[in-house]
Amino acid sequence: MSLQERTPSEPDVGVTEDGLDYDELEALLEGRVLDREEHVNAEGFVIRPDEVEDVLSTLKEEAGFDHCSAVTAQEYDDRFESIYHLKKYDDPTQELSVVVPTSKDEPVSQSAAGVYDTADWHEREAYDLVGINYEDHPDLRRILLPETWQGHPLSERYNQTQPQVVPLREHANPLEEDHRGSGDDSDTMFVNIGPHHPATHGVLHVKTVLDGEQIVDLDPDIGYLHRSEEQMCQQGTYRHQIMPYPDRWDYSPGGLLNEWAYARAAEDLADIDVPEYAQVLRTMSAELTRIAAHMLAVGTFGLDLYGDFTVIFMYAVRDREVVQNLLEDLTGQRLMFNYFRLGGVAWDLPEPRDEYLEKIRDFLDELPDRLEEYHNLISGNEIFQMRAVDTGILQPETAKSYGATGPVARGSGVDYDLRRDDPYGYYDELDWDVVTEDGCDNYARLLVRMQEVEESAKIIKQCVDLLEDWPEDDREIQSNVPRTLRPDPDKEIYRAVEGAKGELGIYIRSDGTDKPARFKIRSPCFSNLQTLPVMSEGEYIPDMVASLGSLDIVLGEVDR
Amino acid sequence: MIVPGAMSLTDRFLELLGLDPSTAGPLLVFGVSILAAGLVGSFVLLNTAFAGPYAKRKITASFTDRISVNRIGPAGIGTIVVDSVRLLSKELIIPEDADRPAYDLAPIVLAGSALLAFAVIPMGSGIQLADPEIGLAYVFAIASIASLGLLMAGYASNNKYSFLGGLRAVAQNIAYEIPLVLTGASVVIFAGTLQLGNVTTPDTIVGAQQATLFTIGSISIPSWFGFINPFAFALFMAANLAEVGRNPFDIPEAPTEIVAGYQTEYSSVYFVLFYLGEFIHIFLGGAIIATLFLGGPAGPVLPGIVWFTIKIWGVFLLTQWARSAVPRVRIDQLIQIGWKGMLVLSLANLLLTAVIVGVIA
Repeated sequence: MSLQERTPSEPDVGVTEDGLDYDELEALLEGRVLDREEHVNAEGFVIRPDEVEDVLSTLKEEAGFDHCSAVTAQEYDDRFESIYHLKKYDDPTQELSVVVPTSKDEPVSQSAAGVYDTADWHEREAYDLVGINYEDHPDLRRILLPETWQGHPLSERYNQTQPQVVPLREHANPLEEDHRGSGDDSDTMFVNIGPHHPATHGVLHVKTVLDGEQIVDLDPDIGYLHRSEEQMCQQGTYRHQIMPYPDRWDYSPGGLLNEWAYARAAEDLADIDVPEYAQVLRTMSAELTRIAAHMLAVGTFGLDLYGDFTVIFMYAVRDREVVQNLLEDLTGQRLMFNYFRLGGVAWDLPEPRDEYLEKIRDFLDELPDRLEEYHNLISGNEIFQMRAVDTGILQPETAKSYGATGPVARGSGVDYDLRRDDPYGYYDELDWDVVTEDGCDNYARLLVRMQEVEESAKIIKQCVDLLEDWPEDDREIQSNVPRTLRPDPDKEIYRAVEGAKGELGIYIRSDGTDKPARFKIRSPCFSNLQTLPVMSEGEYIPDMVASLGSLDIVLGEVDR
Repeated sequence: MIVPGAMSLTDRFLELLGLDPSTAGPLLVFGVSILAAGLVGSFVLLNTAFAGPYAKRKITASFTDRISVNRIGPAGIGTIVVDSVRLLSKELIIPEDADRPAYDLAPIVLAGSALLAFAVIPMGSGIQLADPEIGLAYVFAIASIASLGLLMAGYASNNKYSFLGGLRAVAQNIAYEIPLVLTGASVVIFAGTLQLGNVTTPDTIVGAQQATLFTIGSISIPSWFGFINPFAFALFMAANLAEVGRNPFDIPEAPTEIVAGYQTEYSSVYFVLFYLGEFIHIFLGGAIIATLFLGGPAGPVLPGIVWFTIKIWGVFLLTQWARSAVPRVRIDQLIQIGWKGMLVLSLANLLLTAVIVGVIA
């Protein structure tokens, strides 16, 4: 479906030539907007906590806000607040925040899970960490912390000194009767897949109910790698202390892409300009990171389908190693780069420049042959196609409802890439394409990643050409940024970049100090992982494993 | 047709000792037989010991652009010793609720069954323990006992992954054993006997393959069954991959799906036995293929035992290649390939062989 051929019946209330007309949107909601807030990225509509579902479904059906990016919850001195960051898949620059304040004594708000499937997990996280109760939520349990945890760590009343007891329940009897499947005579078996399992790509725990080899019910249990990243960022100063953390979210390595998410949000919050030369450096290094991340994704997906001791994984890692070396030369690090700075980057290309750029060129020249080899080895293999084609189906509408982004969404034909749709860095000056596949299956997601490697190579090539010809006296890598950064109080921003796995967004609220009052990470893996039950229920275990591999989750980013 | 078996290894040993095999006492024959069996067993185990901790790693490493073990001894060969010590000295952990003695017997059944089948395989240079008339039937029957070991291991471990692995193993072995045996039967039609024999006994499976098929110049091509009916050969090779559980048919272990299947709960010596059993099985698969399709130990210039070793290592190399480069099929696809594809093809192959035999005769 082309974006241009909109039929008149399509929901587009408030869409004008120069952005959204918020007055029209307010009129659409017929007086349910109590107040309007000015956020940096969009306006915020304040609504009553018992009208959440009503308002959101109106906005979704009639105004076309089909993408609920994230739910941010936070506590003020006088209230709790949930913010629903809404966007449109067609045009993510059309944003709207729906702000739902609740009382301090009884923080109860209506759930949005009936409107956006993705709100399910996001609200569970808000409940878990901040302590807001969501009425009519299908399954309001803790998500990141253990079920027995006492208190909500990001709320003001949380007692940090209280000891927490996390019991290890005795393992269940493996031969226990289990009849959770459909039908009266169902004979099912409960299996814990993970947290220690070769195919969970980290410490994911999938509670699975099997009927024979087929999956009846599946519940991903996350949080084993929860490191309070949001809390840690709230305790660091904007200028220097936050930047090292993003490297630790998606370490596949998505490091530079993650850093960019923070850099973009903080720069827009504090009105910091970035010199053009630094933007080219950022773009080039970020795309190198993307290639490395996608290589690992392709390799581990191969691992899931082939078993251990397989060539595709080793080949992918071998080629990724070249990228890692390039990034090491540039940033001094192989994984935890810490290369971006607010207003620029840490340093220029390594000397001698020509030699370094030549190294990148060599890598790019060899890349097509490598990819050809991958295609021969995996995507062209009949057995591989038997396994990957038509398994792990994720329909476009489902993908949107679950807030899937990145290669997962693009593999379902959802044409959504923030690099093009909400341009930042140097992307809009360069010539490249957004890759989509209509297969909606594991195979399509793999193809998207492999083609994105080619597109990234195209971007890098253009950046290398630009850097080579850049006049020597104009190589400004850092703009003027105050030593201590104190954004104006009560500014709020939600900004996202296209990370390796999808839309990586940061919400920051400033309170006039040099540290954020609230720092919320919208992790693409978190939203993407939610689609796993949809893809896998009714399928075989091997297909579930393949689907999990094709989602390409990094638990560091899921759990944060 | 009954042909006298070739001279067995026991008889050769007796002759070496200066005794007449026909008059030697039963106790003496028993003792010497044990000695001969030990020799054959040692030969197989030697191959396995070289393959498991060393050759397999080196082969996989060269497929995947790596170097692999290279620290201990020349080219890392000392790893064999080090790894053996390491594996044997590990703690033997037995799950609390394991069903003993089935849990303890399973690895022995698995490793033992494969080893027993080597008793009738002609390895060339006169190494063959016995040559019964029902040789081939014995080989298939004994090798199938391995499935029992897998099921025992899977069920007795009291672990859900093991259980799934055990079930998978049985489903897979039944689905592929039948095509395997049917394809083997086509060789029986060709040779007219179940007796494996050796190069000197023309009316046996191996002996029948020694005749000249045709000659190109001065080179005479022997009538190895693999040359006469390449279709049966290919079919047998594929079924054999499933039988030994290597990609694309490594479903019973499938580490990324069910951890390690039936061997999840096994450690230390028991694990070594499983590992050993698997490798003996791969070599047994190679030995059967060599015997049925590649003229047994026959080959020019070099002695028979060398040719035999080369042939079984060739098959081993192939399984490692498949393991490195071919994805794993799904369990339902595997069963489908087995019952709907391989079985039909192997029946067709039986017919084809009958026609070939009819034309030649």
